[in-house]
Amino acid sequence: MGFALPLLLLVLWEITTRTGLLPAHALPPPGAIVRTTYDLAASGELLEHVTSTLARVGTGFAFGAGVATLLALITGRSAVLRRLIDPTLQGLRSVPSLAWVPLFLLWLGIGETSKVALIAVGVFFPVYLNLLSGVLAIDPRWIEVGRVFRYEGWDLARHVLIPAALPAYLTGLRSGLGLGFMFVVAAELMGASRGLGYLMVDGQTTSRPELIIAALLLFAVIGKLSDHALERAGARFQRFRA
Amino acid sequence: MNRMSRIASLVIWISVLVIGCASEARPELAAEAPNAEKPDVVRLDYATYSPVSLLLKDKGFLEEDLAKDGVKVEWVKSIGSNKALEFLSSSSIDFGSTAGAAALLAKANGNPIRAVYVYSKPEWTALVTRADSGIDKIEDLKGKKVAVARGTDPFIFLLRALDSVGLSDKEVELVQLQHPDGRAALERGDVDAWAGLDPHMATSELEKGSKLFFRNPEWNTWGMLNVREGFAQKYPAYVDRVLAAYERAREHAKRAPAELRASLIKEAKLSDAVADRVLTRTDLTPSTIGDAQKQAILAAGDVLKKSAIVKPETNVEEVATALIDPSFANKLNR
Repeated sequence: MGFALPLLLLVLWEITTRTGLLPAHALPPPGAIVRTTYDLAASGELLEHVTSTLARVGTGFAFGAGVATLLALITGRSAVLRRLIDPTLQGLRSVPSLAWVPLFLLWLGIGETSKVALIAVGVFFPVYLNLLSGVLAIDPRWIEVGRVFRYEGWDLARHVLIPAALPAYLTGLRSGLGLGFMFVVAAELMGASRGLGYLMVDGQTTSRPELIIAALLLFAVIGKLSDHALERAGARFQRFRA
Repeated sequence: MNRMSRIASLVIWISVLVIGCASEARPELAAEAPNAEKPDVVRLDYATYSPVSLLLKDKGFLEEDLAKDGVKVEWVKSIGSNKALEFLSSSSIDFGSTAGAAALLAKANGNPIRAVYVYSKPEWTALVTRADSGIDKIEDLKGKKVAVARGTDPFIFLLRALDSVGLSDKEVELVQLQHPDGRAALERGDVDAWAGLDPHMATSELEKGSKLFFRNPEWNTWGMLNVREGFAQKYPAYVDRVLAAYERAREHAKRAPAELRASLIKEAKLSDAVADRVLTRTDLTPSTIGDAQKQAILAAGDVLKKSAIVKPETNVEEVATALIDPSFANKLNR
């Protein structure tokens, strides 16, 4: 059912470009895009672009989600620390994440570090906010049970807090991952030599819109697949919890 | 609303959108025949790599002429050939300043433009590195990071340089950066070398001691003014008028180099020494467009095919012939 709309669009698209209603230099026909994608895949270049993008998102996600998890657990458990740290984080959250780009370029250069850092910033906030609200909403009795088991610190987080806040945590992780993909494009626009975002710039600078669209579609597919994977993993943990 | 009807309404909305866009694009395509109509506005780019465009903008020659017909002039800054070509492709400007080879690349990939005028014969690109990088020749670039703005003359220059010593663009890490960013990355040490462009290149050379380790004036493929085909077909008389204004600015620049220098310094915020360095590398003598330009860009065509930036079946000769249109420049009184 979900395929009906893309198919319809594809037909409309083919018709508009075939009849010259839309010029091919603005919107190449689907055939040209398939061919470009195939050529890229056949030369092995595509795999290189996809892996470097995935590596960037993966690393950025791990850092961003890791730090967010830690901070959310700390501020979720300690009212004092929450009052100390949370306002600052809420303030930083209002900085549009792309506004960090010039600063990251200045501090970290154009290498992988600045890219990963930008993605990590993007991933951080949804994970932090969702997990924090999840932890705050935990029924105090759950924590009492944890106390009975003499869980402290990390053990308490592992056995009680995260499982209890899991639905909110998963929502955070999923929107974090979505943002990670959003930011990897921005990151790859700032001086890259590989990656799907780079592929888009390449298409833009060398008058090849088919490259831009091919990269766009790949983003859609990969984003959907990774979100699906995260959802599945989450569902498994949910069952585990129950 | 149930799921089916939600999907249905989405489909309708998208169809409306697509049809809306399509009908907007149509008048432009339909109006192919030349006519006496006048445009409301003529949109040109200006660029620090084209000093004549800066002088023309400052002097207001074109505004002066077109005001007679009540036609407005709009200026858009281009920071590289690739940007000018993007603007041309999206009909954001009518005239764009690029390097010859960059225009060839875009034309080969379907950008509907024609090169109608030469604004300079510059040596504006070379391969640049920091004084202490230990890179002395093209061969040293193997495995190194090189900043370059793809789709521009420096990019094609770099590909040719690599090709001339048997290196492919895969054996070097090309980092996509627009010209000013490429200079910054080189100076900061993020990359080992940079395919530079004046005036950024001259600035780096004089102010940071960067060295031009590979130069070849012959591989700089002329500064060309391109017009959108749609505009040239619809308003040919206005192409003549724009070229006449350009020609007036170029003649003025030759007579009064100090004014050209002042325009360049003002727009690009250069020191006097940098501006002088740029202008010694910018030859304003030639203005005819024709065989010399064609040969220069044809020589760049092979390497574009080799690196698969244009499709392998492209007939570069045909593209170059279709690109270069001397008919407008030939009408100028020289």
